[in-house]
Amino acid sequence: MTVDVSTIYLLDVATGESVEAELRDAIEQAQLDDWQTKWQPALLAVLQELARKGVPMSQWPQSWHWNWAQKTARVQGLLAFRGFSVVARGETQGLAQVNLTKASREPSQVGKPLVYLDYLEVAPWNRPELGAAPRLRGVGSALITAATVLSIDEGFKGRLGLHSLPQADAFYRKIGMTDLGQDPAYQNLRYFEMTLEQARAFLEEE
Amino acid sequence: MKLERSKEWWIARARREGDAVIGAGLLAFDPAADERPSGAQSAVVEETRIAFGKFVNLMRRRRGFSMEQLAQAADLDASELLVIEDDVHYVPEPRTVFKLAETFEVSQRRLMQLAGLAAANDAGFRQEAVRFAARSEAVQKLTPEESSALEAFVAVLSEQEPKRVK
Repeated sequence: MTVDVSTIYLLDVATGESVEAELRDAIEQAQLDDWQTKWQPALLAVLQELARKGVPMSQWPQSWHWNWAQKTARVQGLLAFRGFSVVARGETQGLAQVNLTKASREPSQVGKPLVYLDYLEVAPWNRPELGAAPRLRGVGSALITAATVLSIDEGFKGRLGLHSLPQADAFYRKIGMTDLGQDPAYQNLRYFEMTLEQARAFLEEE
Repeated sequence: MKLERSKEWWIARARREGDAVIGAGLLAFDPAADERPSGAQSAVVEETRIAFGKFVNLMRRRRGFSMEQLAQAADLDASELLVIEDDVHYVPEPRTVFKLAETFEVSQRRLMQLAGLAAANDAGFRQEAVRFAARSEAVQKLTPEESSALEAFVAVLSEQEPKRVK
C-alpha cells in the first residue's frame, strides 16, 4: 500500500509558532503503537488524576462506555480500514477512520453517498478538555479537512457525515454542518452532516 | 490523496479551532477509568509485573530503606508498596509508578511498561524483565548476584525504546 503524505501546519499552543506536520492517508502500525504506548498511558494518567481529585463523573470529559481492552482491540482493527493520521514531532497527533458505504440523511441530499467519519480522535495531550494546556492545535480540523477532500475526490462532492462526541457538538455547528439531532442508534450522539455547499464554504474560507 | 494548501491556510484553520473539542464516533469515547489493560495481554503483563515487584523490592533494599522509609521518600502509601512487592496481580496506580520512577531515577515510560500499565513495543524488553525476575531472590541482604542483576536491569530500564521505521 502506498501512503500519500501531505505537508500541513499546526499551531504550537505554548509558543504560537507553526509546526510542520504530515497528513498521511492511512493508519499504519506505527500509529497503533503510539496509540497504545503513548496515548493510552497519557489518558490513563489524566483519568486517575480526576478520580483522585474526587471530580464527579458528570464533569469528566466525554462519556465512559468503553473499557481499555475493548477499545484497544477496536483500535488495532483500524489497520483494515481507510483512514488518516496526523504525525508531528515523531508522534501520532490524531487519527480518523472513514467509511464510504453510507448514505446521506439531510433532506436536500438524502440517499446520496457520502464520506462517513466512523472515528476521529485527537491525542490526549492535544485535547483541551482534559485539563492540561493542549500542545498542538489544528489536528482535528486537519482530519475533517482530509475527510472532506476525500469526499470530493470520490465524487461525493464534499458530503460528510459523523456522530459527534457530546463536547464536540459546538465545533461541528461552528464549521457550518447541519445538526440532525440525537441518534438513538448511536447512544444518542448527535448526527451531523455537511452538504456540498457547506463543504465548499469550509474548504475555501481563509 | 494529496492536500495542497498554503501554510497560512492551515494556520488559519488551527487558530479558528481554538480550544474546541473535536471527536467523532463511539470508538472515540474514552474508556472507563477503573478498567485497565487486560484480557489477551494479561499473561504478558503478569510476567513483567513479577519483575516490577522484584525491582521495587531490590531497589528499596539497595538503598537500605524500609517500606515506610520508601513510602515517605516517594510520597506513597506503605500499604501499596507492600502489595506491589508481594502480589503480581495487583495493578499499581499510574501515579505510584511515576513516583517510583522518579525516586529510582529510571525511565517513567519503561517502568509503566514493566508495571503493565503500558505495552512495550519491543519483545527484548520483556525478555530482560523475565530474566531479571528469574535471577533475583527476595532475601534480607542483596547478594552480589542480585546486585549485578539489578545493575544490569537498571541499565535496560534507562534505555530508550528502539526507533521505529517511519
